[in-house]
This record gives sequence, C-alpha cells and structure tokens, in this order.
Amino acid sequence: MQKTIIFIAILLTAVAVSWGEECPPAVSAFLEQHCFDCHNDVVAKGELDLANLGFHLDDAANRERWILIYDRIAKQEMPPESDELPRAERAELLKTLRRPLADADRAEISALGHAPMRRLTQTEYEDNLRDLLALPNLDVADLLPEDRSVDGFKKVASLLEISRVQLAGYLDASGVALSEAVASGVKPPKTRKWRFTGTDLFSAPTTYGGREAMFFTKNGRWNANPKSQEKAANENDDSPLELALFRSAAWPYYGYPRGFLAALSGEYRVRFSARAVRQLPGFRIVPAHDPLPMSFRARQPSGPDVSGDVSETGGWIDLMPKAKVFETTIQLNTGETFEYSLLGLPVPFIRTDGGFYYDFPPMPPEGHRGAAIQWLEVEGPLTPESWPPESHRVLFGDLPIAPATEQNGIPVRVVSRQPKQDAERLLRRFVERAARRPLPEDSLDVYLKLIRDDLNTGTPFAEAMLKGYQALLCSGHFLFLREPTKGDTLALASRLSHLLWNSRPDEALYQTAQDGLLAKTSVLKAETDRLIADRRFDRFVENFTDQWLSLSDLRRDIPDRRLYPEYRKDDYLVDSMERETRAFLRAMIRDNLPASVLVDADFAFLNDRLAAHYGLPREAGSAMRRVKLPDWSPYGGLLTQASIMKLTSNGTTTSPVLRGVWVMKKLMGDPPPAPPKSVPAIQPDIRGATTIRETLAKHTESESCAACHARFDPVGFALENFDVMGAWRDRYRGLERGEKITGIDPGGHPFTYFIGPQVDSAGTLRSGEMFSDVIELKRILKADPRPLARNLLHQFVFYATGSHVRFSERSDIESILDDCEANGYRVGDLLRATISSDLFAGIQRPSLVEKKSK
Amino acid sequence: MSVSFSNRSGVSRRHFLRGLGVCLALPSLEVHGDDSTDPPNRMILISNNLGVLPWQFFPKSDGSNYALSPYLKDLQEFREDFNVISGMSHPAVAGGHSTENCFLTSAKDPTASGFRNSISLDQFAVEQLGQQTRFPTLNLGVNIDKANRSLAWTRDGALLPAEESPSALFRKMFVQGDRNEVARRLHRLRERGSILDAVGEDMRLFQRQLGKSDRNRVDQYFSSLRELETRLQVAGEWEQKPKPQTDQAAPKDILDKAKFFEKFELMLSMARLALETDSTRIVTLMVDAFATPVFDVSAKERSLNGYHNLSHHGQAKDKIAQLERVDHRQMQVLRGLLKNLAAVSDSGSNLLERTMVLFGSNLGDANVHNCTNLPILLAGGGLRHGRHLAFDRSNNRPLCDLFVTMLQNLGVETETFGSSEGNLNEIIA
Repeated sequence: MQKTIIFIAILLTAVAVSWGEECPPAVSAFLEQHCFDCHNDVVAKGELDLANLGFHLDDAANRERWILIYDRIAKQEMPPESDELPRAERAELLKTLRRPLADADRAEISALGHAPMRRLTQTEYEDNLRDLLALPNLDVADLLPEDRSVDGFKKVASLLEISRVQLAGYLDASGVALSEAVASGVKPPKTRKWRFTGTDLFSAPTTYGGREAMFFTKNGRWNANPKSQEKAANENDDSPLELALFRSAAWPYYGYPRGFLAALSGEYRVRFSARAVRQLPGFRIVPAHDPLPMSFRARQPSGPDVSGDVSETGGWIDLMPKAKVFETTIQLNTGETFEYSLLGLPVPFIRTDGGFYYDFPPMPPEGHRGAAIQWLEVEGPLTPESWPPESHRVLFGDLPIAPATEQNGIPVRVVSRQPKQDAERLLRRFVERAARRPLPEDSLDVYLKLIRDDLNTGTPFAEAMLKGYQALLCSGHFLFLREPTKGDTLALASRLSHLLWNSRPDEALYQTAQDGLLAKTSVLKAETDRLIADRRFDRFVENFTDQWLSLSDLRRDIPDRRLYPEYRKDDYLVDSMERETRAFLRAMIRDNLPASVLVDADFAFLNDRLAAHYGLPREAGSAMRRVKLPDWSPYGGLLTQASIMKLTSNGTTTSPVLRGVWVMKKLMGDPPPAPPKSVPAIQPDIRGATTIRETLAKHTESESCAACHARFDPVGFALENFDVMGAWRDRYRGLERGEKITGIDPGGHPFTYFIGPQVDSAGTLRSGEMFSDVIELKRILKADPRPLARNLLHQFVFYATGSHVRFSERSDIESILDDCEANGYRVGDLLRATISSDLFAGIQRPSLVEKKSK
Repeated sequence: MSVSFSNRSGVSRRHFLRGLGVCLALPSLEVHGDDSTDPPNRMILISNNLGVLPWQFFPKSDGSNYALSPYLKDLQEFREDFNVISGMSHPAVAGGHSTENCFLTSAKDPTASGFRNSISLDQFAVEQLGQQTRFPTLNLGVNIDKANRSLAWTRDGALLPAEESPSALFRKMFVQGDRNEVARRLHRLRERGSILDAVGEDMRLFQRQLGKSDRNRVDQYFSSLRELETRLQVAGEWEQKPKPQTDQAAPKDILDKAKFFEKFELMLSMARLALETDSTRIVTLMVDAFATPVFDVSAKERSLNGYHNLSHHGQAKDKIAQLERVDHRQMQVLRGLLKNLAAVSDSGSNLLERTMVLFGSNLGDANVHNCTNLPILLAGGGLRHGRHLAFDRSNNRPLCDLFVTMLQNLGVETETFGSSEGNLNEIIA
C-alpha cells in the first residue's frame, strides 16, 4: 500500500521538476531514475528533496547541496546499493557533474576570493601586541571573548565576528598592553634579592601529610629541632640543614619559602641547590636512583588553600641524586609567591575516621621519592639592560623621560620640545608596524587629528599619544587580515606570519614583502624556512595541535577514580602527554617526517613518566627525547599517543564508535555522515557484565546502521586495547564483576575494582582487509599514505586561509600530492607546498585560472 | 587615554583589570529608559563558605509534601516561598576550601596548575542584560578576606573585590559623589567616546579598499561601534543623575569580627535597601565563615573555636551541638531577610516575589571538605516553590542547571551557563 502511494507521488512530482537549463541532461536523467524514490518532495530522505532542488549553481547554498550529492555518489554511499551504479557509469556521471560545479565555484572565487577578510583571533591579537610592543609575557587574551570554532578550528573567516563585547574587549586589552609598555618610572624598578636557608625554605614547620610528607634533615637524618643558626648555610657548607619534601603541590599545601612576596609583577631569577632523594623508614634520606622532576607554581600566599590563579612557571627541572645548583626564571604577578611543585608524586589524603588528619600513602619498597633543598635565592624583578625598556621606545622613541607631574596614571612624563612634529613622526613609525602595511594618508590623518586635538587642549604628550595608539589598535587596520590578491606581497607576508607565528611579520619579512621580493618562489621558500626554524614557530605547534586535534581539551575529563585509581592527581602524566604530541608535530614539520607517521612510527618522544606509561624501560628525566621503540610496542605514530586516547574517551569508558569517528575525521579526512537523530548513543556498561563489542553488536543489528558503522567501528575496535589514559590493557575493568583488585591510590585512598572480560581488538575494514590488533591495523593504514597526506593538506589550508578547500581547488590539492608523492609525502614538504600554492597566495593570479581550466 | 594606567609601584595589574571589569559591564539601552511595564526581576546570591551540617539541613523526604528538616523548620512560615534542593554540585570542582571562589562560576579544579576562574553568575547576567540600574551588581561580604575571596569574577578570571563596609555602601548608593570624582569618571568615558569616533571615521575610509564579501564584517564593526557608544553615553548619564533618597539613617560599621551575625544582618539590610531603591537588581554576598575567628553564637555563648576549626568537628559532640546552634541562628537571619523582602510592596506584589534569594555553600560537608551534595535553598522570585527537589546524591546534578533557570527567570536568554547540562525550568511557575 505504502509503495503505491510513493509511486503515485513520484509520478506527480516527476512532472513538476524543473532542473533549469544548465543541468546536464545525463545528470537529471540519472537522478530521476535512481534517486527520486527516496529524495522527492514527499519522502525527502536526508532532507533532500530533488523535486524542488533546482540547478542554480551560482547560488552558493544550492551549489553546496550539489557538492554534497557529488561527494556521496563519489564515495559510493549513494545510491545505497552500490551495484545499482556500475563503476564506469559512476565515473562518467561524476565527470559530467564536476565541470559545471567547478566552473561555478571558480567564478565565485575570482569574484569574491577564496575566503573573506577575517579579524584576528583572540590569541593572534595577543601575539600581535606582544611582538609589536616587545612585551613577550603580555597576558591580555582573557580580556577578549573566546572565538567560536568549527571542528576545533578558530581561524575560520566566517565565524570571526565583531560585536560590541569584542570591541570593548579590544579597548580594554589595548589599554592594558599600552600601559604595560610605558616605562614604569624614570629609573628601572629596584631589583631585590632574597636568600632562604634552613627553616626559612618552607612557610610552615610542617605540611599536610605529616612528617612523611616533609621534614628538615641534616646528614640524611631527621632534625627534630632545627635551630636558627642553621640558616647561615651557604654553598660551601657540606652538611647544611635541608628541606626534604615528598609530596606534590596538590591541595592542601604550604609549599613556599617563608616571607617572600613579589611586590611587583615581572620576571624573577631563582637559583637553588637541591638533590633527588629517597625517604627510608625512620625518616632517613638517601640519594635517589633516578632524577626527580620539579617546577614552581606562582600563586598567592593564602595559606594552605589556593585563591586566584595558579600557574606553573620556570619550566621543568630535573633534580639529580647529587646536589647541584639550578637556575631558572619565573614569572610572578604582584602579590604572588611561588611554591615547590614536585612532579608525579603522591598527595596526602584526609582521614576523618575518629578524628581529622591527613595521612600519607604507604611507602613503596624503595622508599618515597622526593627532593632535598639546601638553599634558594630569588632576585627580581629583573630589569632590561637598557632603560627605558624596548617596549617604551616602540611608543616614544628616544624622547627623554622625566618624573610624572600629572595625575593621569602614566608613571612618567615624556618630554617633547616639538610635540606636533614628534607626534607625527612617532605615529607614522608606530602605524606602519601596527597596521602591517602603510596607511593611506587620509586614514593617518584621523589618528593624527585625534592626538593633535588633545595636544591643543593641553593634554600631556604621552597621554595624547597613547590615545592615538589605542585607537589604532582597535581599528580595522590592526584587527583585520585581508586575503592576498595577486602581487599583494604585504598581505601574503601577513598570511605567512599568522600561519607560522600566529602574529605579524617581523622586520625582515616585512621588508622582503615591501620590496616585492616575496612574490618570488625562492624568496617565499627561504622565508618559510626561516619562520619555521624560529622559536616563534612554537605558536604554530601549540595553536595547530590545540585546534586540529583539540589538544586544548586534554584536561577536560578526569579519569574515574574508582576504575582508574592509579592516575589520581597525576598531572605530570597529562602534561607529558601534551608535550609528546607537540614535540611530535614539531618534528613532523621540522624533521620533514613522512605523513605515514600519523598512524605509525618506530620512535616516540618520551620522558620518564611516559616511558613508564607505555611499558618501556624507564627514560631518565622529564625532557621529551626521541626514543626508538621496540617492534612489539603498539605506540609510535600520532594515532596511538596517550593524548589522543585520552581525548577520545570520557575518563570513565572508551567507545570504539567515538574513537573510530575521530580517526576517520581528524586523521583520514573521511568524516562519516552525522548519526541519525532518532538513535540514542550506546552506553558502555561499567559494571563489567558486557563488553562494548556486545553492546555495539546489538546496536548495529539493522543493516542500515551496520553499513555506516562499518566505516569507523573497526578502527575503534583496534584501539580498545588502550584505556582512558592511553595505557595498554588486555582486559576491561569494571566495578562489579571479575577478578577483584584492591590497593591504595596516589591520593592515599583505598580502591577496589574488578578485572573483567578480554579486549577483542580484531576487525575488518570496509576494503575487506583484516587485522587482529592495532599493530596490524597500523600496517594496513600506513600502506596507503596518500589519504593521510591529503587530509593534512586540507587541515593546513583550513588553518592557514580560514576557509575549507573549495570544490574547484581539489585539483590543486591533488597536484600537490602528486608533487610530494615521490618523497613519501613528507609533512614539511606538504606544508611548504601549501604555502607555495595559489591557494595560499590568493586569487586573481593568471596562473591559477590557467591551471584550473585545463 | 581612556583607561587609567596602573602605577607599577602601587596598584597591581589585577586591580587594574578589576577596574576595567566595571567598564565592560556597560549599560543597555534596551532596558534603560524604555517604557516596558514588566516589573523587574532581581536576585540575591548568598554563600556561606563553610556550609551547614548536612543532616540537619536536608529533608528526609522529597516532593511537595516533604517534612521540613530541623533547620528548615526555622523558615516554616515561608514554606511555600522556597524550594530546598539536594543532590546538586559543580562537576569536577574539588579542592576543599579553594572551591569557595567557584560557587557562582563552576570553574573546575581550582587547585590545579594553570587554574583560572571563569565568569560568575551575577557578572554573566549583567553582561547579557546590560546595566539597568546605577550599580550593575553589588558584591558584598561579611568578615571577608577581600584580597582572596569573592563570589564575583570577571570573564577573564579576575576577582571583583567585595564591599564589606555598610557605611561605604550607603554612601555609594545615597550620597552624591564629589564634583572632581564625577568629572574624572566622565572624562574617562569621553576619552573612550572620542577613540570610537576616530576608528569609526577611519573605518569609513578603510572600507573603500574592500570587496563585496568583506562588507558584512565592516557592517558588524559599525553596529558594534554604535552599540558601544550608546552604552558609554548611558554610563555618563548615570554619573550625572541624582541618587535616590532614603529616610533610613546611615549605618555604622561593625568592626568586631566576633559580631558575626550582627554584621551578617546589617549587610542583608543594606542589600534589601539596595533592591528596594532599585540601586541594583543583583546582589552577591559571601559570608566568609572561614575567616571568622571565635565569635558570638548568641548574646550568652561564645564559639569554642574559630568558625573553621569548629566546622571540622570530627564528630565531637560538643562541637556538633554548637554548630547546630550556629546554623539555626543563620537560618533566623535568612528568615529575617525573607520577611523584610516580603514586607516591601513592589508593582502590585512584594519584593520577595520579585527577588530570587539563593542561599548555599561551596561545601557539602565542611568536616571532610566534601564539595558534593551542596546545601541549596532558593526562595522568592515568583518561582514554583514549596518542594524538596532531590537529585541523585551519588551522581549529582550540575548546580549550573539551576543557574540557567535563574538566568532565564531574570530575563537572560541563555540555554547554558558554566558546566550546565540542562535546566531546572520545572520550577518556573
């Protein structure tokens, strides 16, 4: 009955269809014959109604629909029964459809560009200010609203909107930045020195966790009553009173030197002497077996609790079994102190059974790992070698400064004998740097007038100038990045530097661009290499991994403490995961690794904690080192890094569906269609009764579900051997059934969980290739690196230009791939080829048009 | 320069940012000066950072026929004017006392390295609604350690310091500022205005160089400029407007921290006065029990320890008994607030009907530093009341779900706030 109705509907609609003149008859005939059954104005499966679609490719929305139709036919997803459309016929159909689509798309690109002008992102605005004003530690990003994102990407032209909140944020952020740039006084602030020894090394005589967590020691023995003369210890004292510390900085804690407070924001130099130790029963300490990593945390000294920001500063330092002097620079805000943060150590836990006290986790056989500190010196705030600082000279050149006379909040008076001339000279200089290109004279006049009006009414010179500067930092010249067009080498330079440095071109790049040299391929290549080699390239590494892989979400889920007690409070592990992935991406480009390392490699970047996590021999120290992996190791390659495994789970359970979809989307560039709305997501069973595979088998019983799940589930199954933090597992854990495991976690709490069913990681890909575990899967995926390389190119283009690869640009991507194939699709080559391509350099290049019309 | 410069030897950068927080919360014309007749909604948000004894606070039965718990019996006459809610907390906000700054923000893991607080409920509401009154919000404290604790945080995670002097508050609300002060603030607003004028003029020149597809952004830029300028103007108008009159005498500050409850009551009366005169519609109040030393439980009784030590009762009978008396007294103070609000008539109803009163804590059980199962009581505001809403005690509902509903009731169009996963709109009448 139902069939009849649909049949009638088709008859009715078929008459009403008007494709428009341009639709190739072969296409319309095919669609009417094969697609109309489901996609008509009555049924409209997938919300596609071909009866009313029409063929108006100059309309972007209509073209997008047709591109989707094209893609689903090309991927053999449609028609659903692939034998309905023989191979040759399919190819012919696609070819017919491709030409009008590409033509229309190309026409739009030559009219409007690949992507519209976009504003700076939140972090680009901050990095621009940092570089422009020579303030490397400037911290204003949080004064701006967070940018919207699509698939994690934030440099998306269509999403980077301007609002009044945004504009108010620019006023605030630029005001703060300029105020920090001005000299804080006629003379640099006074640098003070502190030295802490003996009992002054800690703010209190004890910390939470009792004596096991911290005590004072002399000659390796507990010192019950450290005396004040012990404070006289110096570098030559061979048996000074030492502070021995065995716990992490997790709350609650009192871990800062006594009586220190930063009166001024800035950098402070910390020198200290310390060693890595082990605590044995009876509060004895002996040298450690391994280095012990530590860092500092800047915070307000608000007792054992924390208020305000807490930030790690000064980098990771490896204490060695023999005492050594270390030096580092830390960043403190006014009113902050800094606490010792020993990485990867346990925390004491609260007990309330019969009282209220903190206990320390049980001592392992080799003793508690810890640090012994002999003395510590702080010096700061560090002042620049020249005064006024560089940042001040960006604003006021070499004009003399004098003590402030006005109550306008500016700490110095800038002395100008010819205020009008000086104003114009300084403004011109500042404007060209800030705007990343020369300003038209009439625009410049606007800012000059703003300053002159103030000067005319008696406003002090510095105040008037700062107002002009602030206006410029909120103007379109500073906020907007324009898409390069042919010959606009300044726009090209900005696109290049915002890609690789997240910020403005430096002097050298700007000069090359202004001279027009950047249009030369060789010069563009040389500049690309120079920017990649620079330390500011770390901004690319950080932003690109944060956006492409959503690495910024790494701390989103905290591992379930019932199922995964061993990870409790293990911030050091999570931080190490993040560093591994960043180090890996940096190497992919700088060391020009083949694209296949996305799925497999015979090495990894590891430190002590990650090596242990990956079941490998202990690496010494906290630094990430490139380590060769044994053949049996399932690690190696981005795919199985702990960070990725953590990001694709929820802290409690893993799902092959979510992991599989993630891999297809982020690594393979083959995102599956959105799940049907009516089907609820599967819920893993954390009791331990059923495995995820059994649950999923029920879920995908119906053929239509199974067809789609076959695209991503197999990959996800192979990854089931990795737990929520990326450690290897052969069996699942549950809360109710299986082999009972009990113990005490690093937070000192007792735990019980159960080892349940075996993990089954075998699967069959859609291609029919079979694998029994992740190592075999990697081998299969690695064999065809072209899709991996293609996906990387798509990610690069999206990140670099703010818009997806367009339909007509797909052929450009294929030709880059052809060029990079011989050398094994190396990632550095792929990035460089993207930059050299017309996609990156912009539209209206005759070469672009010629190449495509072939 | 439109913004004040931080003097490096005196004012910290954080202070400076705090000052800016005020600038960010610029007024909205949508509400200001329009002739909408809907009486305004208000809220007052109170947290005691050591909470209450949970077993005395939470009722044993749920629904609308629940039996009042010992503490709630103190509020018996208002039974139909409040909901008590159990089984709520902020997911992943753990870390004992450090969570006190997250009560209205839900920023997770406040003791972790790299922690930065996020925007609080009150500031979010202002950001969305714009400034409707002279003070976008009033952030108050009792015995508060102002430098370290606050319920109100800006979007960039800066602490907004609480006001703890009732007399200063009174001056701010009812005594016109001195001429110089007003002039200085007006000057700053004008500076911002002239910067906006300049960038607007320049944008008209800038857009000549742009293509068709870039126009959209430029239009957005212009409309943002216009909106911001209007807000600056409104801020300037407030500066020049006469302040409301009150027949109440200026209060005297109580400096003795031991007079904890007297201070608490006085601050609540100032809050009521602020709402009554429409000086503000949003009040936050942190009751810093943590910073309260040995104090007067009543005229006849001194606490055995400072409030914090007392809260770690370790099951000691005498301490628990005293805490019960402390908590009861606190309920009496709350009862006083509800009573006073209900006594003020407002647009054909009363102030309580127009004011959501939230009382809660960042600690579910201070004795063991537990940050789940927070005590939450919500009164007034024209909501559907009289129930004990009991959520799963082992798998808590995000407290922000309630915040979303409160925001909506306040007139903010949002589906999410902080760590919300839904809302509690079943309490909207």
